[in-house]
Amino acid sequence: MLGLEGMESSDAELVTGVLGGDVNAYSTLVSRYRDRYARYAVHMLGNREDAEEALQDAFTRAYRSLARCEEPERFGAWLFRILVNRCRTSGARRMRRSQTFVHDEGALLNASEEHPAEQTMWREEIERAVGELSADQREAFLLKYVEDLGYDEMSEITGVGVSALKMRVMRACDRLRVLLKEVHSG
Amino acid sequence: MEMIVEELQRPVVLDASFERRVMVRVRRFHAQNRARRGKLARVAASITHHPAWTAAIAASLVAVTTFGIMNGRLRTPAVSGAAIEPTRFVLVAPTAQSVSVVGDFNNWGLGDSALVATSNHGVWSVTAQVPAGVHRYAFVVNGKDWRADPTAPRSPGDDFGMPSSALVVEEGSK
Repeated sequence: MLGLEGMESSDAELVTGVLGGDVNAYSTLVSRYRDRYARYAVHMLGNREDAEEALQDAFTRAYRSLARCEEPERFGAWLFRILVNRCRTSGARRMRRSQTFVHDEGALLNASEEHPAEQTMWREEIERAVGELSADQREAFLLKYVEDLGYDEMSEITGVGVSALKMRVMRACDRLRVLLKEVHSG
Repeated sequence: MEMIVEELQRPVVLDASFERRVMVRVRRFHAQNRARRGKLARVAASITHHPAWTAAIAASLVAVTTFGIMNGRLRTPAVSGAAIEPTRFVLVAPTAQSVSVVGDFNNWGLGDSALVATSNHGVWSVTAQVPAGVHRYAFVVNGKDWRADPTAPRSPGDDFGMPSSALVVEEGSK
């Protein structure tokens, strides 16, 4: 671990340490980003198992390619780009319609404790609706609203133009409103 | 919409074993990489084609691996289960009528397995899917003229009595 005692090492310091042969420094980077990026993978892929596999793969690929991380201080953004691409590949490989909501027993349990059954149902409805979006729309919606990224950042990560991303987000919002309205009116 | 976003922004906490599982993969790759570097150093040390260039070629071969740079040439028998990487082969041959690539990764072109390059103003190129590892290869010009790659290190042993070049392709280098 680099840096002064009691101070957290920066991403750049950790990356430098790993490239210098300190493999253990990478575990700090893993613990720093694992939960933050797990949320995106879970919502994007629709189930926890695939999400964990994608995230593990993204961390491994990032380690293998670490020498090509041109801005070590922005390791997190670079890793996220790898994860977004990995989720695209994973999503394209399988049929996901039959498993569009998150099987996150722990989270569901917590929700139940806070707001009984309605909370669980509401969560399932949302996850099901998000799963009904096209992959492109789901990706754009999650990046914009859940990960709270700007359109320029989204464009950099996805390689898609800003106008197209805005269109995807808008259509995703429209679709979600319709899907959730159908659930409530049905 | 705010309610949807709020719900989706709830944290997702992974199992405590996640970090350990990632680090197992990372350490395995680290160990393989160290072993590969050692192997390449031995290959480089055995290159003897042109004594005057031996040191430079050996140094460059080791450097390619050390810094993870893919220079697009050379391989050895692939390790079973090795990752497949796209590898581009280029030969400048303005007067050639045809150029193909043969190597240990395509059974030295036996049968119809030679990779046929296409020409762009005398610059012949082809991209092949090659397993990660160290390989030997050569260009076959006009169907009969067997040439080593002039821009790559010569391999320690000539296959079939013909000159060949060495190529290192690293996993995940694309």
